[in-house]
Amino acid sequence: MKKAILLESVSKKYEVGSSSLEVIKDLTFDVNENEFVCIVGPSGCGKTTLLRIVSGLEPPSSGRVLVFDTPPDPRRQKFGVIFQEDSLLPWRTVLGNVKFGLELQGYKETEHEKIARTYIELVGLQGFENYYPHQISGGMKKRVAIARALAINPDLILMDEPFADLDAQTRSLMQRELLNVWSKLNKTVLFITHNVEEAVFLAQRVFVLTKRPSKVKQIINIDLPYPRARLSPPFISYRERILTAFHEELEGI
Amino acid sequence: MLYALSSVIIFFIFWELIALYSPSPYLPDPYSVLRAFITILTVGDVDGYTLTWHAVVSLERVLLGFAVGTATGIPIGMLLGIKPTLKGAVTPIIEPLRFIPPIAWIPLSIVLLIGLWRYIFLIWIGVFFPVLLDTIAGVKRTSITLIQMARTFGADNKKIITKIVFPSSLPEIMNGLRVGLGVGWMCIVAAEMIGGEPVGLGRLILKYANLLQIDVVIVGMITIGLIGLALNYLILLLEKRMFRWRVEIRA
Repeated sequence: MKKAILLESVSKKYEVGSSSLEVIKDLTFDVNENEFVCIVGPSGCGKTTLLRIVSGLEPPSSGRVLVFDTPPDPRRQKFGVIFQEDSLLPWRTVLGNVKFGLELQGYKETEHEKIARTYIELVGLQGFENYYPHQISGGMKKRVAIARALAINPDLILMDEPFADLDAQTRSLMQRELLNVWSKLNKTVLFITHNVEEAVFLAQRVFVLTKRPSKVKQIINIDLPYPRARLSPPFISYRERILTAFHEELEGI
Repeated sequence: MLYALSSVIIFFIFWELIALYSPSPYLPDPYSVLRAFITILTVGDVDGYTLTWHAVVSLERVLLGFAVGTATGIPIGMLLGIKPTLKGAVTPIIEPLRFIPPIAWIPLSIVLLIGLWRYIFLIWIGVFFPVLLDTIAGVKRTSITLIQMARTFGADNKKIITKIVFPSSLPEIMNGLRVGLGVGWMCIVAAEMIGGEPVGLGRLILKYANLLQIDVVIVGMITIGLIGLALNYLILLLEKRMFRWRVEIRA
């Protein structure tokens, strides 16, 4: 099967004055095309750094990173990155925000509007095209960010704790809708979270990272059909398994 | 509204009282200023220039200086905001310069410049620094998340500046333009001290100060104040239109 992401012995060190901080050490994993993978790990374990490396924003200090067989480069590849923080342009409307990626990716200007409207509809925001970000809720802002990422037809979707700031109900709704979109569009998703239940609900495979310097502690295949019932015994047993691995790492902090 | 009106009335009563009991024969009361205002507006000054003519000429000069101040302040501010090392390098030059008042520049501008450039330069002194400093502040406040977001979509540095940094700094830049236009307008008297031409509101004030006709001097002062107020209001109106996306953040 074709590999969407391949990391081989990746390390990342930051030089802070005279000392150096090793965030990631000897990290190796791969993600298949069209796969949904969640990465869980204790906070401060370099999850965000990992995402920056995979999206080509930062090079690793050592090791090899390949995204569809080439070193990641957002100027030549199409990445849909969804951040934890609000990343909408406050001076643009919902429609203008969804167009943003299309403008940068060199789509024909005559197509922007039509494509943007299609994806606004896909995330259920039709009717809100002309609203500014400050006029809509946190959950709606996330939908706009997702529509903006999907509109460029990305090869890879990278999500950095995108639903962490949402209330519980909105979060579970967004999770279900994300799975809907994923099953419709057939995309590779790398989803970072510290919420174990979220990982079991979403992912085909869950990678548990160790505390800093991070590497993969355990890979768990979630062999449950979608949609998953959060209260079913197998769901709970997966959750417990991951929580156990997760808590072993938390204790050391 | 009622309070505003009563404070204006009280102001004029005070003025009238001071004029009445002042030992100086040169202090005019509001009524003689009003008369002088009508005369200058309709008949013109000793050289035949009307008040409107003075105001238009002054506005023209200030707008020219403002245009040059904007055209230099925004790009230099963007550059210094983006390159902190460059900003650090030029700070020891810029910081003391901005505390030198326009009047102090008069002799140098007479030595260095001719004609219209003297006006432009003195007004530029007033416009440039507020525009520069607010532009730098705006650039610095640009969200790192937005820049990273644009990078993940493949934006190069040029696109980051035009599509993220500039629009995100625009509210601060507009604030700088508003303050800069105000300060530039305040420099008009200093600027017109050195121009030989007999027109302009600053010139009007200086001309009648020499004649000891203080009523006309006050007409010039009030006109400068009112036009400054109008300019400020115009830009505020423009800001409100441009930054509807920000309205609720401010409230």
